[in-house]
Amino acid sequence: MSFAPIIALHRGADTTALARFTAFLALASLPFFAAHLLDQRMVMDEAVWIKPLKFFAAFGIYIGTLAVYARWLPPSWASTRLWRGYLVVVMACILAELVWISTAAALGTRSHFNDSSALWTAIYPLMGLAAMILTSASLVMGIGIWRNTSSPLAPALRLSIALGLILTFAMTVVIANVMAGSDSHLIGVPISGARLPIMGWSREVGDLRAPHFLATHAMHGVPLAGLAALFLPRAWQSPAVWVAAMAYAALTAWAFWQALAGLPPI
Amino acid sequence: MPQTLFQIATPLAMLGWFALALNPVAPKVAQIAAMAIPLLLSLLYAAVILVYWAGSDGGFDTLEDMQRLFTNAPLALAGWVHYLAFDLMIGAWIARTALAEGINHLFILPCLALTFLFGPAGLFAFAIVRFALTGKVLP
Repeated sequence: MSFAPIIALHRGADTTALARFTAFLALASLPFFAAHLLDQRMVMDEAVWIKPLKFFAAFGIYIGTLAVYARWLPPSWASTRLWRGYLVVVMACILAELVWISTAAALGTRSHFNDSSALWTAIYPLMGLAAMILTSASLVMGIGIWRNTSSPLAPALRLSIALGLILTFAMTVVIANVMAGSDSHLIGVPISGARLPIMGWSREVGDLRAPHFLATHAMHGVPLAGLAALFLPRAWQSPAVWVAAMAYAALTAWAFWQALAGLPPI
Repeated sequence: MPQTLFQIATPLAMLGWFALALNPVAPKVAQIAAMAIPLLLSLLYAAVILVYWAGSDGGFDTLEDMQRLFTNAPLALAGWVHYLAFDLMIGAWIARTALAEGINHLFILPCLALTFLFGPAGLFAFAIVRFALTGKVLP
């Protein structure tokens, strides 16, 4: 029995590794779901496996999206050693993050902002570097799609995907850096602990995870605007994508400012 | 929780062994069951280890440490699920190999029973039977 043909359906010459890795991440999350059902422990008022599961979902969506977009990279990239080697590094960084976060969960302790021992303190900046590298894949792909003039995509759609990817990198790195530089993702001290369902963001104080979420999803939001722009007259399409990208960036900046001011996202 | 999981895991493995016993009648069903069930048990094993390994005491370095490991109920469950999963995998391989090499199922049934009850003893029994009948030992 082989599932290879299912994965192969999603193939464009150079999307294979990313698509396979997406499938791997989805399946690898299963033991963590099962662990979540068995485990009663809590960390930071949350069941211990919620955080690893969120990261599995986030990385799965990230790599899955890159797998879709990779077919619009310059065709010559697929065969280069540099690109293939880079993808291996990006995937290794994702695995490192997941191992780190899951190990902390298994031990019933925090992963981010953990300074309980020299080892955890030493790992944190390394994981920051890994996060930076894995996020850089969106920048690299954004530039690649931007420069691929032989792309079969409508120019406005191509622009929206490229801008979305580049914004994902730029905004995520800025917000994540500020978050890593403070000692919590919260700005302010919650009293009741009220939180948004699923996302888990605070409803009382500033929560930097909200702008981080918006920043990271620029790679989805801006291309959606690009698809919508295709319904406009041709001459308006690309300018509309630029406006949408700037509006998205402004929205994220506003959410970032809100969080820094200690105001809850909703 | 460990008690409940124990009561689920054991009959699940039995189901796989039952399918293997009927291997000549429905080899496809036997192979699927004897692969899917170990996979399911492996998933359960992984989850139990993720949850309970960190809080356990003991280890693999000395016999005493290992005994102490198994005094922890969830880890004893994990150890049992490990047996169930791997023994069934071996059972599937025995049944598949026997069918491919034309070894009579009557020779295989005792090997399967032994593997189910005493894992490695069953593997050894099959190795002897196979060598006696086909001259082969290694895959």
